[in-house]
Amino acid sequence: MRRAVAWGLGGAALVAMPWLVRAVAPGQQRYVLHILVFTGLFAALALSYDLVVGHVGSLSLAHPAFFGIGAYTAALLATRAGFTFLPDTLAAMILAGLVAWLIGVPMFRLHEHAFAIGTLGFAMVTHIVATNWVDLTRGPLCVTGIPRPALGMGPVAIKLTSVPHYYWLALASLGLVALLYHGLTTFRLGRAFHAVRDNEMLAAAAGIDPRRYRMLAFVVGAVVAGGIGALYAHYITVLCPEEMTVALTINLLVIVFIGGVGRLRGVVIGAVLFTVLPEILRIAPTWRLVIYGGLLLAIVVRWPEGLESALRRSGRSRTA
Amino acid sequence: MRAGYAEVEVLRGVSLEVRSGDIVSIIGANGAGKSTLLKTVFGLVTAHGGSIRLAGEELAGRRPVEVLARGVSYVPQGRCNFPAMTVEENLEMGAYTRNDAGVRRDIDAMMQRFPMLGSKRVDPAGTLSGGQQQVLEIAMALLLHPRLLLVDEPSLGLDPRMAELVFATIESINREGTTVVMVEQNAKTALSISHRAFVLELGRNRFEGTGRELLDNPEVRTHYLGR
Repeated sequence: MRRAVAWGLGGAALVAMPWLVRAVAPGQQRYVLHILVFTGLFAALALSYDLVVGHVGSLSLAHPAFFGIGAYTAALLATRAGFTFLPDTLAAMILAGLVAWLIGVPMFRLHEHAFAIGTLGFAMVTHIVATNWVDLTRGPLCVTGIPRPALGMGPVAIKLTSVPHYYWLALASLGLVALLYHGLTTFRLGRAFHAVRDNEMLAAAAGIDPRRYRMLAFVVGAVVAGGIGALYAHYITVLCPEEMTVALTINLLVIVFIGGVGRLRGVVIGAVLFTVLPEILRIAPTWRLVIYGGLLLAIVVRWPEGLESALRRSGRSRTA
Repeated sequence: MRAGYAEVEVLRGVSLEVRSGDIVSIIGANGAGKSTLLKTVFGLVTAHGGSIRLAGEELAGRRPVEVLARGVSYVPQGRCNFPAMTVEENLEMGAYTRNDAGVRRDIDAMMQRFPMLGSKRVDPAGTLSGGQQQVLEIAMALLLHPRLLLVDEPSLGLDPRMAELVFATIESINREGTTVVMVEQNAKTALSISHRAFVLELGRNRFEGTGRELLDNPEVRTHYLGR
């Protein structure tokens, strides 16, 4: 009961966040919500990444490519073909998933380190293509003028033009991705994922085809990453190849491992820390990134299994 | 049968026949190809040549899930369970491919058959002793009611008392009608409970016969039984 009330209050606070922020920091609403939009998008993207890294144990470094494929698909369809938000996002998700399936076939023949390097190679090639295929992507000139999203069609279309609108869209997207993540990683399917991650040989002995389940997580992760890429492109309205560099993988790895690999709550905590902490540290602009790096290091040393494990332990000791 | 990993051929023409209802042991030195043989039968290693037939049906080239569906279960070497899952969850994983209503009943029956598992039902499998874990792994495989059970080094790392318990378990499974093919380093005990046995050397057959015959074979005794 207490848990349900806490969830209800937490959910209501998240939905009411634009008003809460305006009441607490009236001049800062746009800035704070902008950070929260990024938190939501990064959390959703990191959850999709954790499906692959945390739940089937495949160290894929290709996630920026799927994010970028989704972002470019949506951006190009919206700016050149006049697609509206929902169809171009759907197309972004489908294309990212299709590409993941196509490259997954040869990649999952590789093992562990070779798989990581193979996917890294794919991510680098995708970035190079985005940079150099100027006729399609405009390369370093970037795709500009991506319209802000609109839900619905014609006269009933609701245009999401303000930051609070986009905050709610990001929050809803994170909620959907979290539900999908929970559904896939618990119950029977989740057990199969974890069996593949924990002991591939035994999983095979139990009739669970490791390659098939790895592929499933990889493709679903890519579909979500493509969708988040589309949301991102529509939010920032300008899309450059730098958005899909390998650095994004490093950021996702930081979020997942700082928060807690394979843990929904942990990944969301990691995303909050990753996006909010550097902004808070602007109070010490010179030392900001040094302090940030030091804090991340301290967290890894103190809680090598991620912050979520510390929360879990403290929760257990409170109930004991 | 010929099989191996990438360029390395481990099995270089092994040939063996297993009769229904037997316990068959495969013994040999490290690197003889014993475990590779079981993995090849189960589809984890691709056969480069030859044939694997189960009651006339070709198994070579099939994936593990297909081999499993034809009534062959495999218990891998070492402590091969999901240590963070409970005993009961491990058994559920053993029956993962089953969708029938009898799964729950069979798991309960397995708990009764092996009381050491029943008493640890909600404990993580990683907290069980080595022998208990081995019995759990065999129980997981049995939940699919296999015709043929492949067991890789069941006594590995167990003290003599626990090894005895595991061998007794294998004998009782066989008495109920399951054919068992077992790879084992503890050659003496394995031969003593086997109807037939094969000795492999560098991926080829070296000796074969009943368990008793191999126990009495002076060459086998000198090279594989330590006396």
